[in-house]
Amino acid sequence: MRYIKLILLALIFFPFSLQADTAEGVGLKIAKASYENGRGFIDMVSDQLMILIDPKGKEVIREVSSKTLENLDPDDGDKSITFFKTPKDVEGTVMLSHTHISDDDDQWLYLPALGRVKRISSSNKSGAFMGSEVAFEDFSGTDYRKYNWRYLGEKIENDETFFILESFPNYKNSGYSKRISLTDSLDRTRKVDFYDRKGELLKILYLEDYELYKDKIWMANTMRVENVQNKNMTIFKWLNRELDTGIDKKDFEKSSLMRLAD
Amino acid sequence: MNLEDRIENFGKILINHRIKVIFSTLIIIFTITFGMKFLETPSGYRGFVEDDFKYYQDVLDLEEKYGNIDVLTYVVKPDTGSIFQREVLNLIHELTEISWQTPYSSRVSSITNHQYTTVEGDDISISDFVNDISKMSQAEIENLYSLAVTEDAVVNFAMSESGKIGLININLEMPDDINFKEPIDFAWKQKEYFEKKYNNVYVGVAGSAQFSQNFQSTSESDATKMYPSFLLLTIILTYILLRSVVASIISLTVILLSILPSLGAAGWLGFEVQPPLITAPIIILTISLTHAIHMLSIALTNMTEGMTKNEAIIESLKINFSPIFLTSFTTAVGIAGINFGDIPAYSEMANTVVIGAAIGFILSVTLLPSMFSLLPIKARKRKSYVINVLQKLGEVIYKFKERFIIIISILCITVFSLIPNLTFDDFFGTYFDRVPAWLEVKNVVDPEFGSSFYIFSDVQSNETDGITNPEYLKKLDEFESWLISQDEVSDVSTISDVVKTLHKNMNGGLDEYYKIPDDKALIAQYLLLYEFSVPYGMDLKNQMTADKSDSRMLIRSNNNTSMQAVAFKQRVDEWLNKNIAPYSTEGVAGIPIMMPHLFVENTRGLVIGLLITFSFIILVVGSALRSFRYGLISIVPNIIPFVLGFGILTLVTNMVTAAHQFAVLISIGLVVDATIHFLSKYKKALSINLSPQEAIQYCFRYVGYPIVVASVCLFSGFLFLTQSMFYYNFIVGGMCALIILIALLIDLLLLPPLLLIFGKKA
Repeated sequence: MRYIKLILLALIFFPFSLQADTAEGVGLKIAKASYENGRGFIDMVSDQLMILIDPKGKEVIREVSSKTLENLDPDDGDKSITFFKTPKDVEGTVMLSHTHISDDDDQWLYLPALGRVKRISSSNKSGAFMGSEVAFEDFSGTDYRKYNWRYLGEKIENDETFFILESFPNYKNSGYSKRISLTDSLDRTRKVDFYDRKGELLKILYLEDYELYKDKIWMANTMRVENVQNKNMTIFKWLNRELDTGIDKKDFEKSSLMRLAD
Repeated sequence: MNLEDRIENFGKILINHRIKVIFSTLIIIFTITFGMKFLETPSGYRGFVEDDFKYYQDVLDLEEKYGNIDVLTYVVKPDTGSIFQREVLNLIHELTEISWQTPYSSRVSSITNHQYTTVEGDDISISDFVNDISKMSQAEIENLYSLAVTEDAVVNFAMSESGKIGLININLEMPDDINFKEPIDFAWKQKEYFEKKYNNVYVGVAGSAQFSQNFQSTSESDATKMYPSFLLLTIILTYILLRSVVASIISLTVILLSILPSLGAAGWLGFEVQPPLITAPIIILTISLTHAIHMLSIALTNMTEGMTKNEAIIESLKINFSPIFLTSFTTAVGIAGINFGDIPAYSEMANTVVIGAAIGFILSVTLLPSMFSLLPIKARKRKSYVINVLQKLGEVIYKFKERFIIIISILCITVFSLIPNLTFDDFFGTYFDRVPAWLEVKNVVDPEFGSSFYIFSDVQSNETDGITNPEYLKKLDEFESWLISQDEVSDVSTISDVVKTLHKNMNGGLDEYYKIPDDKALIAQYLLLYEFSVPYGMDLKNQMTADKSDSRMLIRSNNNTSMQAVAFKQRVDEWLNKNIAPYSTEGVAGIPIMMPHLFVENTRGLVIGLLITFSFIILVVGSALRSFRYGLISIVPNIIPFVLGFGILTLVTNMVTAAHQFAVLISIGLVVDATIHFLSKYKKALSINLSPQEAIQYCFRYVGYPIVVASVCLFSGFLFLTQSMFYYNFIVGGMCALIILIALLIDLLLLPPLLLIFGKKA
């Protein structure tokens, strides 16, 4: 009798344990596919517009341009250089960053008014970026390996089917407790809900204007972030984006920063 | 048909239809009472001001730009030594981390997560000030104080200058119309947990969020603690005065049915249950109680003198209808005068009492006679020592009338000479001094930090990215230095402090670079760098606008009285007018500015209200007595209780707060009542050709007792209010009780000699 009970119990719970297993497995699989979808660009140059909109509708526009070098080593992050253009006072400021998957990122900043390169090491970059609703970790944290994933199911919206994924940051000092993202059938992330440390919805990121580059890489040319708590909005636009332009790898070294600034 | 006949007819109709009267009254009463479910939970200090109050608008404007001003603060104080002990730092670290879970929190800052910059040549490293406590040596921990005390953002904000107290500040971004219950409940759970875990450390909950929540918690504790015991006291008092169980039941029914619908009406009107409203039922109760006692004691006396029950109550109705109407009316007029003030919570309380007084009057002359007629009542002959004493008193007063006037006059003049010591002033910081937990945390915070409250100033550069202009930052610096030199200010934090610290860190951490650089571009680049390296919830968004045109100063306020704060604001405005150009600002705003201005505007309104209601009441009294002379005489016993009351107040304090002013308006209508009763009986006595001496005896015999009884009821009611946790209820209760007591003495001791000397000779 006792054995029958145990077997029945096992039979009841077996499908759940299987499901739990697959929920994480499927989640990781989709996240990985989505990440890899954006890989293979070799390098990338683009101009970016950042539009900050306050609850009253007042706008501020900041301009930067950037170069990114894909890191072919799968265990390390990409390198990027950001050139600040406006406001005029920060024109000529250049930031070089080497992102890493498990370690803290390395960052160097050239301040033209100071005429020097400063190395900034900060273990905690979850704060707002240039007064926007976007945090530095939102950019550097696109690597799927920085999260634990879970597949939550499918959803149909405007005749499109989306996969719903839940992800929990596995690095210290994140500003978020979790994210819930929608990925479409082409493995493109279209929407991400960010939940703050206390588990409340903080902001919603919409990825729009997807464009197919080199016939294989989908990249969003607009990112819209709506903070639902403070009602501010930030729009990022990528202009003149080009891939695989053959940038010199040496540009991404600290020693090149001052040269690049001119 | 004269008035008395009409009242008699009315009484007969009531008794003939008593069942209908009782049922229809109950239906109406319960319908109105249903509104109680719409009573609003109090919105804290924000509910204390009108939405369009200028100084509240200043706060709202600030909040629109920089986020909500409300802060929840944990106060951490080890029993011995400084916070730089392993255990204490562990506590602060854990509490800081858990604080991110506080409902509606947007930022958390403390000594442990303070972003600390270390510099080695061109390498700049930014991290939490206290990182991994378990890996630190004892010497390193002890050394932390000397590092912390040089950090602008830490001293007076995250820790006291002495290092003995640490603060964890949590900014709350509350949605509209939501009170602080959730974050405060959360905070109290943490306080209990951490005090248990670290038993040699005090953890207190403070900040404007706790201050605001005190409004709700004192309302709740007052209601639950005061109402049951006051009801019991009323039952005992009623039985002692009436000596009849059934009569006491009638009295209590009438009282309760006056209170419930007034609270119901308050609900229908959308009033908030702020602490002042808690006093309304008690005030209504005492007013209704005096009516019921008047009606019932005379009816019972009539029965012992041989009348039937119905005759007795109709006779009582005839005697009492006009005085009860008149006294209810003057009470209502006095209290309604509170509407001239500027504090909605008090206007709501006053209007609830006015409704209660009206309902109390109606029930006393409808429901009460009907119930009296319906229920079985036996009257017992009561021996009254009080009446005998009063009659003796009447004789003594007649004999020594001049001496009474002279002695009381000398007393009045002496006490009156103390009154110039009084000033109109108050102290919003004392509102909750009767709440033990709040007082405890206040006594820890105030000596080291000045107070729990912040003032803000939004300084506009008038151009995009203007705050990176060195001239602008130097102006902020100048404003900051001037502010710090003021007694009302404990400390100031500005964006220029951030820039100075950055400049220092970018130049090898050398102190000589702790200044504002002259290059605008350099400042802009510093801020850009800063914004890249701060963690979640530590950005500068609550200090500057996204287009970097305006910045917000944070000023820690000392404990200032209202008059100090108003004068401070004026000085700030003068300084700004002279010095702030070419930049602009609306000046300073915040709770320590708003509440004092509320006090000033409220006082202005109440003084006008008092003049109007007092003149009106005198007019009513004069016309009710149909005599200019008696109208004039009535002014004396109605003013003297206030003169004496405030004179005696000087022995305790010289501050006339808003609560004292409210007490005047609440008691003025009640003080007049006794005078009305006395004067009308005196006039009646003269009209039946009694001599002045006989008239005085007549008054003492017939109204002396009811006056004493009514005053005792009112006195006990107000004295009871002094149990309230809300300081202003305590003052209102104490002050009203004092005034009622003096008024009783004056009515018995001064009014009769006055009438004998200045009254009409028969």
